[in-house]
Amino acid sequence: MRALRDVTFELRRGEVHALMGENGAGKSTLVKILAGLHAPDEGEVRVDGRRVTLRSPHEAMRHGIAMIHQELMPVPDLTVAENLLLGREPRGRIPGTVDRRALRKEAQRLLGVLGAELPVDVPMRALSVGEMQTVEIARAIGTQAAVVIMDEPTAALSDREVEALFAAIRKLQANGTALVYITHKMDEVFRIADRITVLRDGRHVATSPAADLDVQRLIALMVGRELVGGRVRDRVEPGARVLTAEGLTRDGCYREVGLSLRRGEILGLAGLMGAGRSEVAAALFGLVPAERGEIRIDGRPVRIRHPAEAMRLGIGMVTEDRRAEGFVPLMSVRHNVTLASLARCCKGPVIRHAVEADTAARAIAQTGVKASGDGQAVVELSGGNQQKVVFSRTLMPDPEIVILDEPTRGIDVGAKAEIHALIARLADQGKAVLLISSEMPELLALSDRLLVMRQGEVSAELDPLTVTQEEVLKHAMPV
Amino acid sequence: MPCPSDTSFRKRWSEIVAGRLGIVIALIVIAAVLALLKPHFLSAANLTNVVRQVSINGILAVGVTVVLLTGGVDLSLGSLVAVTGVVAAHLAHPGAFPLAVPIAAGVLAGAACGAVNGVVVTRCGVPSFIATLGMMTAARGLALVLSNGRPVSNMSPSLTKLAGDVGGVPIPAMILAAVALCVAWMLRNLRLGRYFYAVGGNELAARAAGIRVQAVKFAAFVLCGALSGLAGVVLAARITTGQPNAGVGYELDAIAAVVIGGTRLSGGVGGVWGTLLGVLLMGVIGNGLDLLNVPSYYQQIVKGVIIIGAVWFDRCHQSAGKERGV
Amino acid sequence: MRKLCVLALAVLCGCGRSGAPEAQGPVIGVSLLNLSNEFVVTLRDAMDARAKELGVRLIINDGQRSPERQVQQVETFIAQKVDAIILNPCEVEASSSAVQKALDAGIPIVNVNSETRAVPTAFVGSRDEESARLGMAYIADRLKGEGGVLMMEGYMGQAAQLKRSAGAIEVLKKTPGLKLLAAQTAEWDRAKAVTLMENWLQAYGTSIRAVFAQNDEMAMGVVLALERAGRKKDIIVVGVDAIADALQAVRDGRLDATVFQDGKGQGRGAVDAALKLVRKAPVEKETFIPFQLVTKENVANFLK
Repeated sequence: MRALRDVTFELRRGEVHALMGENGAGKSTLVKILAGLHAPDEGEVRVDGRRVTLRSPHEAMRHGIAMIHQELMPVPDLTVAENLLLGREPRGRIPGTVDRRALRKEAQRLLGVLGAELPVDVPMRALSVGEMQTVEIARAIGTQAAVVIMDEPTAALSDREVEALFAAIRKLQANGTALVYITHKMDEVFRIADRITVLRDGRHVATSPAADLDVQRLIALMVGRELVGGRVRDRVEPGARVLTAEGLTRDGCYREVGLSLRRGEILGLAGLMGAGRSEVAAALFGLVPAERGEIRIDGRPVRIRHPAEAMRLGIGMVTEDRRAEGFVPLMSVRHNVTLASLARCCKGPVIRHAVEADTAARAIAQTGVKASGDGQAVVELSGGNQQKVVFSRTLMPDPEIVILDEPTRGIDVGAKAEIHALIARLADQGKAVLLISSEMPELLALSDRLLVMRQGEVSAELDPLTVTQEEVLKHAMPV
Repeated sequence: MPCPSDTSFRKRWSEIVAGRLGIVIALIVIAAVLALLKPHFLSAANLTNVVRQVSINGILAVGVTVVLLTGGVDLSLGSLVAVTGVVAAHLAHPGAFPLAVPIAAGVLAGAACGAVNGVVVTRCGVPSFIATLGMMTAARGLALVLSNGRPVSNMSPSLTKLAGDVGGVPIPAMILAAVALCVAWMLRNLRLGRYFYAVGGNELAARAAGIRVQAVKFAAFVLCGALSGLAGVVLAARITTGQPNAGVGYELDAIAAVVIGGTRLSGGVGGVWGTLLGVLLMGVIGNGLDLLNVPSYYQQIVKGVIIIGAVWFDRCHQSAGKERGV
Repeated sequence: MRKLCVLALAVLCGCGRSGAPEAQGPVIGVSLLNLSNEFVVTLRDAMDARAKELGVRLIINDGQRSPERQVQQVETFIAQKVDAIILNPCEVEASSSAVQKALDAGIPIVNVNSETRAVPTAFVGSRDEESARLGMAYIADRLKGEGGVLMMEGYMGQAAQLKRSAGAIEVLKKTPGLKLLAAQTAEWDRAKAVTLMENWLQAYGTSIRAVFAQNDEMAMGVVLALERAGRKKDIIVVGVDAIADALQAVRDGRLDATVFQDGKGQGRGAVDAALKLVRKAPVEKETFIPFQLVTKENVANFLK
């Protein structure tokens, strides 16, 4: 299967050119060619009218093309200034040394161009994801890039950090830098892009000024069909209370958090990055237990100190970062899917392979994982399919309570819709669902009730059918 | 390398061979060169020798494969071989105890040391490299204490027979075959076996799937220790003494064999059959160098170069396979 | 809990005080090659016994086969201002600096068993070449000057290996009918010797008439391999050291001969020489304690 076929892409100085398409459409491959990570089999790249061959990221940078990856890779223990100027440190007088004062000054200058006020002497690991991204952009400015490629830059940013990013982008534009912007987020595209190019199945579908498109038409171009948005399920009568948490506290993360989950109901949990939502979920699932507080299941107080205990109590969880803690990368789809409930496929300690194959096949069919056979390694699948594998694994033990932490992060439109349908089905089956998400539309479309967390505490309980995005944001913003 | 799909036995074998094709080719090439230079290499007597000589390293290598699969490492193998050999030899004087006693004692002593390794790694959070390095030194000291610095001799013939032949087949090789089959079976068919791969592949994901990661790691160290104990008993039988100095450097040979065989040092990928190939390759090289009377000084260099060459060839083949979409 | 600690402390203090009051007797620092070697253990035991008889205090350190460590240990002795030092050197070259340091500090130093390039105040030992000459001569005699011989060497570069190889080759040169088929190291190790002998049997087959192993551990390994292959009857095996196992094997007819190195004699002699130096009494610069060939005929003398 060809990743790209006969794609023509043109970038103008000073423009923000968005690149959109479903996962597997070829966006990553296209930008990797531009960034010197892949060589094209056919075709050519021209910079300022001159043909260039980009055999490595180093050569791409010499031609003024810089890329900011989806997964940031700074050196965590070096300082901000050192990361900013990595590879281009100002020389000191003695050969081989670095002029530290010049290093700091230059780092501060670059950050100033973006209007970002960040300390340059702290180690990178002390920064938030959004701040790290700002540093990466400043780094690109420092290399005097004529073209900056950004792959899903706002995937892990809070709303406030997104604003800062957009401001930085506008500054770059004013400087004459051209930006290639890959994203799945509709609202962002129309705010920031000048032109939009859509790829589908490795081919170029359309390039158009953003002003000439709207969400519906854009989605149609991407998937080739019309998608209906809005509310995914009707409101239902909530069932019995199955889990209640009271006074959950962990110093430095969350304080006195209480919530209750009811059968057949989806409880949405909104909030900015760092509000403590994932940490609360980790406490409920036994990944990192709370220091104080009480959890009751069906009225009985329980202690959950390990995911195995949580699973025995009927709780399942899809964690936030599938790459880091979701699946075993080199293991097959089948083995990943059965990993949490291997005992069901066993007679005593011995695995019954036929039973396992069967069980896995059924689970895979339910969530619609697309892979070339269930023997394929999960790391080779697209993001959406990887997430479906994690879902299958979580749902196989048939948990009564399902916790979902950012279930559709980094997933294309088509797969997202499928997962939303899956989540709705879970609730229809009578399960209690806790849905943590940073995408407001998703929360409002799926939740029956909505809790907002702010700086480690629950700040409001809202009605998703009537509340506006601005109101939710208001309760989520720090006071 | 993903786990092969669970289809027919023949398909799985061809997948395993295909996955290790590079090493298999290296082995065939080296054997062919040796056969040309010294036709005696292919004689039944010599090949039996090779198989006999790799048995001890093989048992150790199979044991440490499991630890490596979980993402850990065990450097104490050689010292455990010494201390368990001494323990077994003390209990193996003629007429003292039935044969089963020294063998069981050696294996249990090894398992106990493995358990200590396991506790230090899982409870005290010490990286396995350091923990087993400590055990390497301590166990060696323990072997010297238990033997008073002298080899423990006067071994009953029934134990020394353990290193002999039955029907022309060396017993140590049969023991290795049995061990390899059991461990391979365990890795494929027991829940615990699957968990070894999961913990090594992604410890966080394994935990999130409800696996008791610390217990799994502990089990790996105990198993490795027990197999080191078995290797120690076999070695003691082979040299008819419990030697406190035995086994120096054995851990490096074992780990080299495992890595040649395709198990990653980072864990999550590999298995017993690759390890056996690695063990065989190293045995053939050592045997060949002795047959050709290559001076001792050069033997080390040649061994090192061939091992690196074999691994490099294998990795090239693997990455080429990936690009072709294999 | 506290009582236990006090008790333990008292016991530890008591341990340090066993034996005669040594505030008066001379103090000798001893650095040994490697206490996991049986022969060196014999040396140490002999020195301990002699020191007790003479009322001398020994500080015994284990060099653990590392010349660097030996140098460090000797430096520590010098700093402690011991009256004399006994050194059982790891290596001819590398341990020389230890000897030099002692001489420069004016502390008498006695080398025992092995030599260094630097010349110590006194030397008590045996000539390793002699042991190999005895062993090889026995083989030449038994084979009537004709046949293929294999030599199994110790750790390459160690004084014992270099000297025993030299001694053996001397005899081989004088006996043209003896052919040296191969010489390889098994690093003084019994297990390595078994493997090497098994491989040699494949490589040289029936042309092997005798094997000279530079120590008994390796000789025992050779014997095991030969017995398992059923070839012991036609091959002569000779070792060096006369460890307990080997003596037993000679008596049982499994090992043809070994060479007795008088470790006890060397140990005693070293302490005697050191004490004489402390007392500034006249002492032999070099005391050579002879080796003795042990065969079935005289093995009873050595088995005690």
